[in-house]
Amino acid sequence: MIDIDRLTDVVDRSLTGPVVEERIFDLQHVAAGIQNTVRDYEVQADRDHVVNLDDELADRVWDAALDFLASCGVYSKDTGRVILFSRDEIERLVRAAPSQVPMGSGPDARIDVARTLEDPRPPLITGGPIGSPTPNDLFVPIIRSYVQEPIVDMTCGATLTSIAGREIRTKSPLEILAAWEEIDLMRQARELAGRPGIATTGIMISVSDLGNLTASSSPAVLPTDLHTFGIISELKTNNDILNKLAHILMIEGVVDPYANPIYGGLGGGIEGQAVLLTAELVALSVFFLADCLGTSPTHPLQFQDTGRDLMTATSLSFQAIARNASLLTNLTITPVGGPGTKTLLYETIACAVMSTVSGQSRILGPRSATGAIPAHFSGLEARLMGEAVHAAAGLTREAAEGIVQNALSKYEHLLDQQPYGLAFPEVYDVQSVRPKDQWLKMYEQVKAEAIGWGLPLDAGSK
Amino acid sequence: MAEIPEEIREGLSTALHEGDEEAAESFTRRALDDGVDPLELIKEVLVPTLTEVGENFQEFRIFLPELMLSGEAAKRAGGLLEAAIEAQGKVVTTLGKVVIGTVEGDIHDIGQNIVTSLLSANGFEVVNLGRNVKPSAFLETAESENADIVGMSALMTTTLPMQRRTVKLFEEVGVREKYKLLVGGGAVSERWVNEIGADGFAPDAAAAVELCKSLLGV
Repeated sequence: MIDIDRLTDVVDRSLTGPVVEERIFDLQHVAAGIQNTVRDYEVQADRDHVVNLDDELADRVWDAALDFLASCGVYSKDTGRVILFSRDEIERLVRAAPSQVPMGSGPDARIDVARTLEDPRPPLITGGPIGSPTPNDLFVPIIRSYVQEPIVDMTCGATLTSIAGREIRTKSPLEILAAWEEIDLMRQARELAGRPGIATTGIMISVSDLGNLTASSSPAVLPTDLHTFGIISELKTNNDILNKLAHILMIEGVVDPYANPIYGGLGGGIEGQAVLLTAELVALSVFFLADCLGTSPTHPLQFQDTGRDLMTATSLSFQAIARNASLLTNLTITPVGGPGTKTLLYETIACAVMSTVSGQSRILGPRSATGAIPAHFSGLEARLMGEAVHAAAGLTREAAEGIVQNALSKYEHLLDQQPYGLAFPEVYDVQSVRPKDQWLKMYEQVKAEAIGWGLPLDAGSK
Repeated sequence: MAEIPEEIREGLSTALHEGDEEAAESFTRRALDDGVDPLELIKEVLVPTLTEVGENFQEFRIFLPELMLSGEAAKRAGGLLEAAIEAQGKVVTTLGKVVIGTVEGDIHDIGQNIVTSLLSANGFEVVNLGRNVKPSAFLETAESENADIVGMSALMTTTLPMQRRTVKLFEEVGVREKYKLLVGGGAVSERWVNEIGADGFAPDAAAAVELCKSLLGV
C-alpha cells in the first residue's frame, strides 16, 4: 500500500522548516554539529584496527548520529529550509522501517534481509559497474559478464556514454532517450545470460528527474526491480530528488537511494565520517522513505572507498547500525584498481570482508577504476567479490581484521598511482563473454593468497 | 616601513590556522597601526601560512571546515590589507583571477570549493559561481570580471559534455584565446582534455593551484 502521508509530511516540513542560509547549514549544522557530537560522545576510533572491535564505541556512534541528525536535519535547496525530525520521531520511523525486502522474480527471486555483526548468512551480491561509463557497443557484453556469474544475486547498470551517436545532455530529450536505451540494454543482457528475472537497480543515466521518471514506465522495468537516486552531499535534497521518490512510491518500486559522504569534507576525519555516514544512512530511511540504505563513501582525491581510513569509518558506521537497528544497508565497493591489476582484487577482498562482518545486507560492485574510466570493469571481479563475501560470512571480526590488514599491505601504497588497468575487451573475449587467461590467472593467484591469509575461499559458497 | 613584530607575525599566523576571523582582523589592524607595510604582511605571513594550511588539508591533518574557516579569516585580513595598499596609491595585485564553477546539470560542488579555498590561499582572486553553471554564465562572468582562467568542474560522466559545450561557446564568440580554460572533477582525464581542446586539468586541488601558476607563469 502506498504511504503518501509519509511523503507529504516530508514535503510539508520542507516548506515550513526553519530558513537557513546554505553556507550556515554547511558550517554550523553539519560541520560544527559533527564536531560537537564527536566530542560529546567521546567517539575515538582505534587507529590500529580497520574492522571495529569495540561494541560500546559503535553504540556511541549510533547515539551521536541520531542526536546529530535530529539537530542538523536535511537541507532543501529548493525552499532554503531545513527539514527536521525530532530524535523520538527518528527512532520511531527507524523501528518501522523494513527489515526485509523481496527483489527479483522466478529462480532469481531474493530477499534482502537485515544482518547482524558476524552473521553467518552472507549478504546479497549486486554485481555490476554501478553507473560507470560504457560505450554502447560494450554495454550488453559487459553487463552479461556480471549477470552470468551464479554468485551474483542482482545487478546494476552502466552509464551510456552517448545516444544515437550524440553526447547525452541532461534535462534534454537525449537524456530521456538514453534512459530508455539503458533499460532496453539491461533487458537484453539479462535475457542473454538466461536470467530475465534477476533484479536490477536503475536508472543510472538519469542525472535529472526527467529520464528517471519516463524510463521507469518502460515495460522492461520489472515490478521487482530497484530504483535508485542519490542525495546531495552533505544531507541536502531538492525537488528533482523528491520527484523521483514520489514516482517510485507511486509505482510501488523498491526505494534504493544512496548517500556518499566525502571523507575529509564537512564531516572531517574517521570519527566524524563514521557519525556522518551513520546519520546519512538513517536519513535515507527517515527523510527519503528508503527500503535499502546505500553508500559509497568517497575519498576526495582518489575517489575510492577502499583506503584504510575510509574503511575504518565505514566499518564503525555499519556496526553502529547493525547493533542498534534492523535496517537494510549496502555498500558499493569502489576500488582504484581496474581489470588486469591485482590491486583491484586486493581492494575488493579487503572491502568485501570488512563489510560482511560489519553487518551489511548487500554489497555492490565492484565499481572498478573509481567508476570513472570507460569500460574498465568486468564480471570477474564481481565473482571474486561474491566469493569473498560468502567466505567471510560467519568469520569473527578479529579474523576478518587479519585478512583486511594483509590485503591492505598489498595495495594501500598504490592508491594514489591510478592503477586503472585494462578495458573490458582486453580482459574478456567480447564474443564469448569469457575472461581471458591472463586475467583469470591473476584472479586465481590472488585467491590463493587470500586463502593463505585465512579467508576460506576454498570452502564453497554458503 | 616598520618590521613585522614577532607577536603579530605569530598571532596572525595562528589566527589564520585556526580560522579565527576576529583575531585575524585584530592582528592585521595592529600591524597596520604599527606601520607595517601591508604588502610585506601578505608576503611574509598570509601567503606562507595559507600555503601551509593548504598542505595540511592535502595530508588530512585538517579537514574541509578548517580549510574554509581559514579562507574566511584570510579574506577578512586581506580586505583590510587591500584597502591599506590602495590608500597608499598602489595597485593591489593578485597572481591572477579565476572564474570557477560546476557545469550545468551537475550539483556536486564540494571539490570545486576545495580548489577555490586553495587558490585563494595561494594568492589568486577567485569568483566562485557555484554549481549548475550554464556555459553562458561562465562566459559572461569571465568577460565582466576580466578573468585569466576559467575552471569547469564535472563529477559525473553524464555532465562532462557540458565542459565541451562551454569550451565551444568561448570559441564560437571568438574569445577562446583570451582565457586559459581548465577542467576538473572525478570523471576528467588527460584524453578528455585533449579531445575538447581545453588547456589542462589537475587530478587534485593542490595540482590545480600549481597548474594555474604554471599557465600564468607566476
